[in-house]
Amino acid sequence: MRSVGRWITILGIIGLLWGCRPSEPIQEGGPVTLVFKHGQIEGNPAAFQTLLRKFEASHPGILVRDEVLPSSSDQQHQFYIIGLEGRSAEFDLLALDVIWVQEFARAGWIRDLSSLFPPSERGAFFPGPIDAVLFEGRPYAIPWFLDAGLLYYRRDLLEKYRLSPPKEWSDLAAAAQTVARGENDPRLRGFVWQGKQYEGLICNVLEVLWSAGGEVLDERGKVVLASASNREALTFLRNLIGEGRVSPPMVTTADEETTRRLFGEGRALFMRNWPYAWVLFQKEGSAVRGKVGVAPLPHFPGHDSAAALGGWQLGINRFSRHSKEAEALLLYLTSPEVQRTMAIETGYNPTRKALYNDPALAAAQPFTAGLRDLFFSARPRPLSPYYPMLSQIMQPEFSAVLVGIKPPEQALRDAALQMKHLLGEPVR
Amino acid sequence: MTTGRLLRQIGFSLLLLATALFFFGPVLWEGITSITPDAEMVAVRLFPRNPTLEHYQSIFVGQPFFRIILNSLVVASMTTLFSLAIGGLAAFALARLHFKGKRILLGGALAVSMFPPVAIISPLYLIVRALGLRDTGWALIVTHTTFSLPLSLWILTRFFEEIPVELYWAAQIDGCTPLQAFTRIILPLAAPGLAAVAILVFLFSWGEFLFALTFTTTEASRTIPVGIALFPGLHEIPYGDIAAASIVVTLPVILLVLLFQRRIIAGLTAGAVKG
Amino acid sequence: MRSSARLGYALISPAVLLLTAVALIPIAAALYLSFQKRLPIFQIVRFVGLENYRFLAIDPRFWNSLGNTLYFTLLAVTLELALGLGVALLLDRAFPGRGWIRAIVLLPWAIPTVVSSRIWEWLYNVEFGLFNSLLTEGGVTHGPINWLGDPFWAMHAAILIDVWKSAPFVTILLTAALQTIPRELYLAARVDGAGRWGIFYHIVLPALRPVILVVLLFRTLDAFRVFDAIYVLTGGGPGNTTETLSIYTYKVLFQTLQFGYGATLAVAMFFCVVAISLIYFGLLGRERRGA
Repeated sequence: MRSVGRWITILGIIGLLWGCRPSEPIQEGGPVTLVFKHGQIEGNPAAFQTLLRKFEASHPGILVRDEVLPSSSDQQHQFYIIGLEGRSAEFDLLALDVIWVQEFARAGWIRDLSSLFPPSERGAFFPGPIDAVLFEGRPYAIPWFLDAGLLYYRRDLLEKYRLSPPKEWSDLAAAAQTVARGENDPRLRGFVWQGKQYEGLICNVLEVLWSAGGEVLDERGKVVLASASNREALTFLRNLIGEGRVSPPMVTTADEETTRRLFGEGRALFMRNWPYAWVLFQKEGSAVRGKVGVAPLPHFPGHDSAAALGGWQLGINRFSRHSKEAEALLLYLTSPEVQRTMAIETGYNPTRKALYNDPALAAAQPFTAGLRDLFFSARPRPLSPYYPMLSQIMQPEFSAVLVGIKPPEQALRDAALQMKHLLGEPVR
Repeated sequence: MTTGRLLRQIGFSLLLLATALFFFGPVLWEGITSITPDAEMVAVRLFPRNPTLEHYQSIFVGQPFFRIILNSLVVASMTTLFSLAIGGLAAFALARLHFKGKRILLGGALAVSMFPPVAIISPLYLIVRALGLRDTGWALIVTHTTFSLPLSLWILTRFFEEIPVELYWAAQIDGCTPLQAFTRIILPLAAPGLAAVAILVFLFSWGEFLFALTFTTTEASRTIPVGIALFPGLHEIPYGDIAAASIVVTLPVILLVLLFQRRIIAGLTAGAVKG
Repeated sequence: MRSSARLGYALISPAVLLLTAVALIPIAAALYLSFQKRLPIFQIVRFVGLENYRFLAIDPRFWNSLGNTLYFTLLAVTLELALGLGVALLLDRAFPGRGWIRAIVLLPWAIPTVVSSRIWEWLYNVEFGLFNSLLTEGGVTHGPINWLGDPFWAMHAAILIDVWKSAPFVTILLTAALQTIPRELYLAARVDGAGRWGIFYHIVLPALRPVILVVLLFRTLDAFRVFDAIYVLTGGGPGNTTETLSIYTYKVLFQTLQFGYGATLAVAMFFCVVAISLIYFGLLGRERRGA
């Protein structure tokens, strides 16, 4: 009994000593420490640290402490909400997913950057991300890097059957069926994409809807989801899994990594995914090395191919006590030099158009440089502070269609009804 | 040995095997995954062709995993200590002393357990920040202790009540104060219950994620669940690294538990035998 | 008696203090929020009385998630209790290596859910998971099972994980309870000629009953609030077929940022659990804690 008491005392002392260290150094007229919160940096994290140190060197009196959050967009979103709703001043600069900017801007959680990012500067960036960061005509973030959905295909298999990369969705389905019949390999899937009930599903579905000329909200922000073209598009997606047998049932649980692994093992003919997968396919030891091609996603007759816009933007916490310094860091991180370095070292896709013609970038990351046209056409998801709510309405409806528990027409109608109710539109 | 007994022995062994397989199977698979090189990750084999230790190496590179484990150890230990102490004393009072308001305390504690943590995380964050505990281990110790108290209170009260009240009275007749009777008679006899609650509270704190994510941000105070949540990159999930990390954090827990069980029970029951 | 009461209050005061300051205050805040329409994005903060509750009553997604949660809880807790009790009884007799088996049984509970969810996700993977490999190679199934993407399988896959993870909780507590049964009772019963079932029914069960009740209670509370595993595996899908109340509440709070309605959902969850607890106490807790 006595030894237990001794252990308790020892532990208690250790605990007190360990716990009572302040986590933030008290500064009296000392350097300003900026806190930059973001998700994991891919590729070469040391390169990013070097960039931050260079900033500190050229800005004496400012120190940068970058704090990493889990990569999950949802977890970051949750973290920011709890902090910003509580008016936290614990971070100054934050990385925002492209779908949060409208929401955070409307909430007054991020600073208006009009003076920092005038229209003359915006022309240097791709149009899609610029649209995403403008709220009521004013910029609330600066695009940092971007992503867009594209079609990966097995060049070797298409060549074998003398098929060219599909331009229209019907071509894709036909090609998948031809190859399936020819190869007669039960483990070879036709077309894999992300159909799990999460945000990625919206990207996948919208790409198909848009390519049929459909929309979620029109230019005035009115709900136009329950349209004939949307119904056609959604039915097509369902049939890919159902009758057509072009897509395996597992797409209803697939996210980016699941499909990437599948395609990377040579088990799929087509895949919809973000550009990140390319580098992984070209690695030493990859089963599909040298056999992969990329193309814009197919479309329906009479309409254009569409790619969903992804990516991250940088914004300033409105409750930050060091906004001037944060602005300096923000401009630094989105400057051409830093974007080029990050593109080369970490493989991120820069948001400045001119960099795609940069010889150094083209030499180091030829694949990225080749994505320029795709990024020009990348479209943001509906731009509205209501977007998270709209997404939450659409996700289960789309998912229900894909697993066959709801017909497309009804799902679109139900979703449209809920959206109209949400946006305060008259519900007929 | 009669055939009846032999069959029973075999049956018993089979059941044991099935039990071990069910509980241990996924963990074993995790262990196998942790030594599978990334290239072989998708080839479903029961054992990799080229087992590797690269995952165990990589989890210590790039983040201070030792520090993270230490943080978790301290937080979980302190939580267990406080939960047992505060909960144990209160449970004794609930079990053997006479005063009003017992049902309110137990009911209130249960009510705390009935509320989904997601709904109270925002106001809790404000409280933690107001107390100046943000980004310290104490934020977690305090919140973990509080939210493990209902379990401690209810289980320990039950166990203390099960000790025959005559023993308690006898100790008092012998000249013990109520608290002495508690520490000398009731505690040792309830040792299995104490050990069980200690293990459960420790593991609750060890694996708690929501509060850890919200209240701690820097490596100085990070705990294991958040540390592991930081493994996945922007798109890729390193199953190998995650498996290695989970093995690394689980083995010491098991050893601790084995040690803890034997020592605590031995230490406490020794007191009872003499008394 | 009075000094005993004073001692009693003194001993419970740390617990009361902690619970009030750290737990009950946020809960009261949530309760208060449930009567508000609070959308921080739109800076709407408005007292609306029972309007949220009225909406709750007709909200189809609430009823869907309630149904999912009840199904999950019922099935999971029943299986956990049965399995946990079975294992506790199995491990009650001494045999070489018992300590190790006890430690093994502890493992699922010892591994943080954020980690075990990933492992199970990998096991359930349609193309590369071990389960499908074993099933198809063993000739049991024709093609791969869409564990997490099929409306039927997804819920049961989640239940299996919870049973795996939580049966140890039951086992640990029931093992401790079994250890406090005096061995003389067993001997006496055997002398009286009682067989296995007799001993179990007349000695073990009654002795375990109080602890079983508490275990059942806490397992139900936990299962009702299940979140991590399902969120990682299915996110509530497909088509909201695995969306439990916790997940719906989380989405309402942190994805649609409706703080008022989210609090209302939490309060609704609370009352459901209170109802269940009262049923337990009524049916099984015939002995009340005395004094």
